[in-house]
Amino acid sequence: MTIALETRSLTKQFGGLTAVDSVDLAIQENSIFSVIGPNGAGKTTFYNCITGFYEPEAGDILFYGESLVGLSPDQVTYRGISRTYQNIRLFANMSAIENILVGEHSRIRGSWLEAILHTPRVVKEEQQAVEKARELLNFVGLVGLGDQLARNLPYGAQRRLEIARALGSQPRLLLLDEPTAGMNPHETTDMMHFIRRLRDELSITILLIEHDMRVVMGISERIAVLDYGAKIAEGTPSEIQGNPRVIEAYLGSGAASGLDNTAAQPA
Amino acid sequence: MKKQLRMALSAGVTFGIVTIFLFLIGFTGISGDLLADLFGNKNAAPFLGLTPQMINMIIFLALIGLWAGSYGSRKSKGQTDDPWAPALIGGLTAGLVHGILVGLLALLVGILNLNQVPINMYLAAVLPAAVKMFLLGGSPVQGAIFHLILFTLTGFLGGLLSRGIGRGSWRVRAVANWKNAWDRYNQKPFIKKMRGNPATRYVIYGVLVLLVFMVPLVAGQYWNYTIGTVCIYVLLGLGLNIVVGLAGLLDLGYVAFFAIGAYTMALLTAPAPQHLMWSFWIALPIGVVLAALTGLLLGAPVLRLRGDYLAIVTLGFGEIIRLLSTSDAMTSFSGGPKGVPSIAGPTIFGEPFNSGADFVYLIFLAAILIIFVTNRLQNSRVGRAWEAMREDETVSRAMGINTLTQKLLAFAIGAAFAGLGGALFASRNQFTGPEDFTFMVSVNVVAVVIVGGMGSIPGVIAGALVLKGLPEVLRELQDYRVMVFGALLVVMMLWRPAGIISSSRRKLEVEKDTGATESPKEGSEK
Repeated sequence: MTIALETRSLTKQFGGLTAVDSVDLAIQENSIFSVIGPNGAGKTTFYNCITGFYEPEAGDILFYGESLVGLSPDQVTYRGISRTYQNIRLFANMSAIENILVGEHSRIRGSWLEAILHTPRVVKEEQQAVEKARELLNFVGLVGLGDQLARNLPYGAQRRLEIARALGSQPRLLLLDEPTAGMNPHETTDMMHFIRRLRDELSITILLIEHDMRVVMGISERIAVLDYGAKIAEGTPSEIQGNPRVIEAYLGSGAASGLDNTAAQPA
Repeated sequence: MKKQLRMALSAGVTFGIVTIFLFLIGFTGISGDLLADLFGNKNAAPFLGLTPQMINMIIFLALIGLWAGSYGSRKSKGQTDDPWAPALIGGLTAGLVHGILVGLLALLVGILNLNQVPINMYLAAVLPAAVKMFLLGGSPVQGAIFHLILFTLTGFLGGLLSRGIGRGSWRVRAVANWKNAWDRYNQKPFIKKMRGNPATRYVIYGVLVLLVFMVPLVAGQYWNYTIGTVCIYVLLGLGLNIVVGLAGLLDLGYVAFFAIGAYTMALLTAPAPQHLMWSFWIALPIGVVLAALTGLLLGAPVLRLRGDYLAIVTLGFGEIIRLLSTSDAMTSFSGGPKGVPSIAGPTIFGEPFNSGADFVYLIFLAAILIIFVTNRLQNSRVGRAWEAMREDETVSRAMGINTLTQKLLAFAIGAAFAGLGGALFASRNQFTGPEDFTFMVSVNVVAVVIVGGMGSIPGVIAGALVLKGLPEVLRELQDYRVMVFGALLVVMMLWRPAGIISSSRRKLEVEKDTGATESPKEGSEK
């Protein structure tokens, strides 16, 4: 199996605070990999390092063998990594379909001069882009809502639109940041199925940050646990559930020794 | 009911405060004069002991009273039924509160005036004559009772009219009928075919353009000058619309690029101070390119800044250009404070333009070109990237947009439009100098974009018409021109906070004009 994304002793510091502390991860192509950890464990910082928003102090990030360190966010996106946000960040005053078209930005080429002159190439490219955006709307189940302003969509639809926008850049690796936050159990189940579909139908590798343990344990193939920026455990869902260090990180020291392991599933 | 009363109460208080304010700034008196101008009854004989000005003032106050009553009787949010009683009580309550407040004011200023207190030392507009007029020549108590009755009555009447005419059931029926007729009309095969056909749109545009092109022939020199100015502001507005409205970069020094276009035209074509005397047609593109290059040069370092910081830096840049043009050091190069006279006008086949109308046509052509270019850009990958940056810069980077390049592009294209506007402006006036490039120009252009509607091409055109054209139309009002203009702006921003013609999104999912065949999916989703 190919490794899609690999980090080697990745470290990010803010002043004296080490937000990500020599994290080593290797994510298999076509897998669903979760990163969990208590609040402030450095999960989102880890994402920001991968996507080029932060430059790590030490370590390396390899995407299909190519280093991403020092690349700007748009270059990272161009190489095939896309993401969604913990708190939905759509382009609120643009229509749903325009949001997806912005996602496709790095896959179309038309320059400003071509746009003014309407060269045949750019007209064709634009038609294809809109067609692609319609397909993505269909894929995420938002048919008929494409011309609505993003801010007028219901919450669940906004979450799915954000994923559709991320898919617009034809990513090979998709970073999801708490995709089920604020959802009811029914919607959460839908989202779990949807994430599986992303992987199965589009062959996209999924990296997931999630707090909802039902989701994490239900769909991840492997899980890494961060605490105070450092990786404290990695393994399959069942291995993580029984890991005393993980329970300690979530529930405090003493919890692991005082409680029976099976009863102390972090929730 | 309780809610209705509360709403009516607050309406009464609001309108009471507004009316008191209008009196304190002297507007109630002015309204008498203004309406006298309008009705032409300035010299009419007194009626029941009231001068025409007083009658006009009563009419003005009664209108405010009607408005207050109608506002006080409005439905609360989410209310579906609309019974008569609360509406009438609402109007009456609002009117009563309005009347009590204004009556108290009349009593107060009347008594102060009787005791020879010089109120106008503190509030310049409250002269004894104004107070006398406000009290209709009567005693303070009489005046107070008059205002109380006036506003109570008009408030009730306002509620009655608003419920009976504004929200009556006959009106609902009429609107429904009209809508049905419109739908039937749209369903006719011929109309549908016409609407689906892009040729129809071009014909309509063509007729509109033709009509617009007729205007300079019938307008006099003065109006042609005004039309030219309005169109130059359309150019500037559309340029800044790209920077502010689309890319979301607040540029308060936009006048700098206007100045560079104007000075390029001036220095290249005028006999002094540079003795170059090139042709207009050579200087024009050079002005545009120079402005765009300056945009790039300025943009490269400052576009890393966001929001307010960018606004301050660009503001400074605009002032630097203006101060440079007035400085002694630059006098020998660019004419200094005296400016540059005798700038060349355009020629066609060696023939100079000889009427104001010719130049208006040239500016029209430039405006149409800019509208075309803006429209194409807005609906392209580049335009979408700009709007995405405006909405959320961080996310737009994560979506693969190189924000620095796109910002520079927006800045340079905006600057190029301003350069074009400046070059045309200088050539038309045949003179340019530092006083053409004050900070107020930048402010005006920002106002054109905001009042018109950010990101909307028809909005910017409407904004330029309103902000640059309306003051000329209002010249009839002489002294009150600026005040009425200001009031209109306030009303406009209350009425349409997103601009006169706010931007609308293109329909992309369901193609326009094929809406007849309703997509089955759409129905099920909604």
